[in-house]
Amino acid sequence: MSNTYYLAQSNEVELFEAAASMNLPILIKGPTGCGKTRFIEAMGEKLGREVYTVVCHDDLSAADLIGRHLIDENGTFWQDGPLTKAVRNGGICYLDEIIEARKDTTVVLHSLADYRRVLPIDRTGEVIEAHPDFMLVVSYNPGYQNVLKGMKPSTKQRFISLSFNYPKPEIEKEVIIKESSVNAAIAQKLVNIAGEIRRLSDSDIQEAVSTRLLIYAAKLIVKGFDPYQACMHSIVESLSDEDDVLEVLQKLISLHFTKSA
Amino acid sequence: MDEKVGKFWDKYVTKKASRLYEAEKVLFEERARSLKIFYHLLGGDKAKELHITDKRFLKTSRTLLEKFSGKGKSFFLAWQDEKALYFPASLSYFDDKNLNEMHYYWLCAMLAHVNIKSNASINENKKAANFLIEKYSGFKDFHTNAEAFLLERYPELSTIKPLNEDLLDDNSYPNPLWIYPSHSSNTMLLDFDDEEEMGREDGKKDKTEELKMKKKAEQINDDKETDGLLLFLPESLMSLMEQVNVDRQENDSFDEDALYNAEDLDEITLGKKDANLASRIKMDLDISANSAEDYPLGKGHFRDEWDYKKESYLKNYVCIKPQISIYVEAIELPKRLEKMMKKIHSELDLMELDRIKIDNLPYGDELNLDTWIDYKGHKNHSNHPQRFFQSYKKKTRDMATLILADISLSTEAGITQDIRVIDMIKDSLMVFAESLQRLQDRFSIYAFSSIRNKKVNFHIIKNFKEKYSDRVRGRIDLIKPGYYTRLGAAIRESAKILEKQQSANKLLLILSDGKPNDVDRYDGRYGIEDTKKAIEEVKQKGITPFCITIDVEAKEYLPYLFGRNSYAVIRDAKKLPKVVTEIYMNLTR
Ligand SMILES: Nc1ncnc2c1ncn2[C@@H]1O[C@H](COP(=O)(O)OP(=O)(O)OP(=O)(O)O)[C@@H](O)[C@H]1O
Ligand SMILES: [Mg+2]
Repeated sequence: MSNTYYLAQSNEVELFEAAASMNLPILIKGPTGCGKTRFIEAMGEKLGREVYTVVCHDDLSAADLIGRHLIDENGTFWQDGPLTKAVRNGGICYLDEIIEARKDTTVVLHSLADYRRVLPIDRTGEVIEAHPDFMLVVSYNPGYQNVLKGMKPSTKQRFISLSFNYPKPEIEKEVIIKESSVNAAIAQKLVNIAGEIRRLSDSDIQEAVSTRLLIYAAKLIVKGFDPYQACMHSIVESLSDEDDVLEVLQKLISLHFTKSA
Repeated sequence: MDEKVGKFWDKYVTKKASRLYEAEKVLFEERARSLKIFYHLLGGDKAKELHITDKRFLKTSRTLLEKFSGKGKSFFLAWQDEKALYFPASLSYFDDKNLNEMHYYWLCAMLAHVNIKSNASINENKKAANFLIEKYSGFKDFHTNAEAFLLERYPELSTIKPLNEDLLDDNSYPNPLWIYPSHSSNTMLLDFDDEEEMGREDGKKDKTEELKMKKKAEQINDDKETDGLLLFLPESLMSLMEQVNVDRQENDSFDEDALYNAEDLDEITLGKKDANLASRIKMDLDISANSAEDYPLGKGHFRDEWDYKKESYLKNYVCIKPQISIYVEAIELPKRLEKMMKKIHSELDLMELDRIKIDNLPYGDELNLDTWIDYKGHKNHSNHPQRFFQSYKKKTRDMATLILADISLSTEAGITQDIRVIDMIKDSLMVFAESLQRLQDRFSIYAFSSIRNKKVNFHIIKNFKEKYSDRVRGRIDLIKPGYYTRLGAAIRESAKILEKQQSANKLLLILSDGKPNDVDRYDGRYGIEDTKKAIEEVKQKGITPFCITIDVEAKEYLPYLFGRNSYAVIRDAKKLPKVVTEIYMNLTR
């Protein structure tokens, strides 16, 4: 019935549904490319709610979320922002990379994220009570670049937290196959490679291979690329700039996918 | 004539008997780092070291030719114990360099997969080999080629007689593709939790270090004599420490401690004035200038330490000795760093373009259309605040960063022939200071090393008040490797200083080359737990700790100490100066 493909990693679907039914906001933490966005899209479809996605950045203003006055031939009129739309009509407002937004922007969420569920709009003087189907979802990636940013505890503690990570090997394999229609043997190898590289991530490299990169590799292979080359371009090069790490990763790939001469 | 023939014959025999390919030889040394990463990739224990093995004796039947030439009695074999992996120093079994290199990777992979407790039996080797062949097509190719090649050249290879279980008594040539049992194959697993055990293990190393320490300690005592002289110069010192409240009425003798009550460490005005001091002392005492020395600021003060066994703090247990170099020469940025600095500057300038917009101003640089339209849209204009303007302001980042450099003895270690770890730390400090100056971010620099809880030398390089100058660079240049690394104490001291800064964001950046250690029990679990505790205290104070460390040994404890996202490991120390600044930029982006 839903078109967006999402394979559950564990109990996140049930948790999301429970939170939705209780009108609780959700905070999703997880590394890049592990399926956060995909999960929300799939849940939106499943619950029959529209998803309004806002990717946050440090120039994002409250007006970008709430709305602003615009001009047409008849003069000025008010245009709802994505947040206001979701609040008014029901739907999931998904703020991706929330910690990239400035803190004075995210305070507008406070009254929405607790029992009050209202959105005051200063500019029009309106106070909107949230639609019963309104749901707030935010996400961020707790990587080392973000240690200083964090989230205000007062913001954070308004949410139910879901912690995502890269899927377990069997699940990741299935996702790769579904997304790229690569054959099972190659998908297995990609998962093996990822498993090995992820072991390194703490002490030797800072980035880890994402599910997204594995799917890229698989897609290149399906397109007819030599698997070794596909992995080099999609997985290895993006992970490190250090020569000796690259050399070893290259070796690893060549052990899994023998270089075709 | 006879002699000549004999020599020739000897040469011929040795050459024929050696079935190795010198020209295709691959050295362990050149591959050691890669192999270590590879070992981690395959899930190997990150605490293990990689070493070169010495020769192992195996009873084997040698070919007639080998018996003739006396070769083939002992072999370089791959093996492991609880602490390390051991590889042959070079490999040259194959007539192709790539294969010899692959041979190392194969052994490394085998070592990651044979069960160390199973004593490396033939079955265990076979199991591991089969696993690798199954999983990696590259190893499958290698193994097929290698085995065929070796079998052809060494018909007496172990694989021929798979029935014999006890390899050491195996009467055939050892298989270079296999892993052999450790020398003392029935050694008990070491109890790594036991500190005493660990201490004894490293006893030898400690002794030589202790000797060096003793020498240093003597030098320090000499320094103390000089300090004694300085005690007679309260006037000039007072001018240095102008801002510090010393109640001279009450106590006529010069009270150094008052200069340095923990709280005041950052209050002391440095810079120009210590030049002043230096010259005055020179005048008064006729001590030769130019020779810089560390001047203690007070007798020291005490900090707590965490005893994990007692689960409580040892009150006022560690003595912190703050000090500063005097007679410092002001120096310019060293030539070797100029190119790097130029590059970093241009990157920083891009960051500086970051401006923030301020809205709702009654007047300003330009009209803000949004507010104007809002105003137009309002029914009742008189109620609307008429603030239509916006201005751009350069982003002030409201950061205070304290960089704490570990200058323990271990930083004396060489990276290359003439570059030591300490040199890289010093270069990093210079580049870092230069960059933060450019960004106009507030920062201070301290360096430390310790001898037991009696003395944690805490060197002020630049405090938050002092302006960055050639003199600060001079102080950085003067940094010398000290003693040990009582990290917890230094962290607590730094936290005290940062705590008093007004900035919204406070960063404690720790530069280190290894784990916490000292000559007492601090070396081991005790030190790790104290440091972890100190880090927790830092976080509670709303300060963000971040540790940048140079990879000299396994870093398993890092996530435990600092938390998963609060450290970075630099594997190539030469990159440290560049990376430190990059990390800072990333952190505060
Ligand atoms: N469980 C899953 N089911 C289906 N597809 C998945 C799953 N996990 C990951 N994917 C795939 O991974 C890709 C990347 O996931 P997604 O874009 O959701 O990542 P993200 O976590 O939002 O990353 P970022 O933090 O970079 O935005 C998706 O396009 C999808 O193909
Ligand atoms: Mg996303």
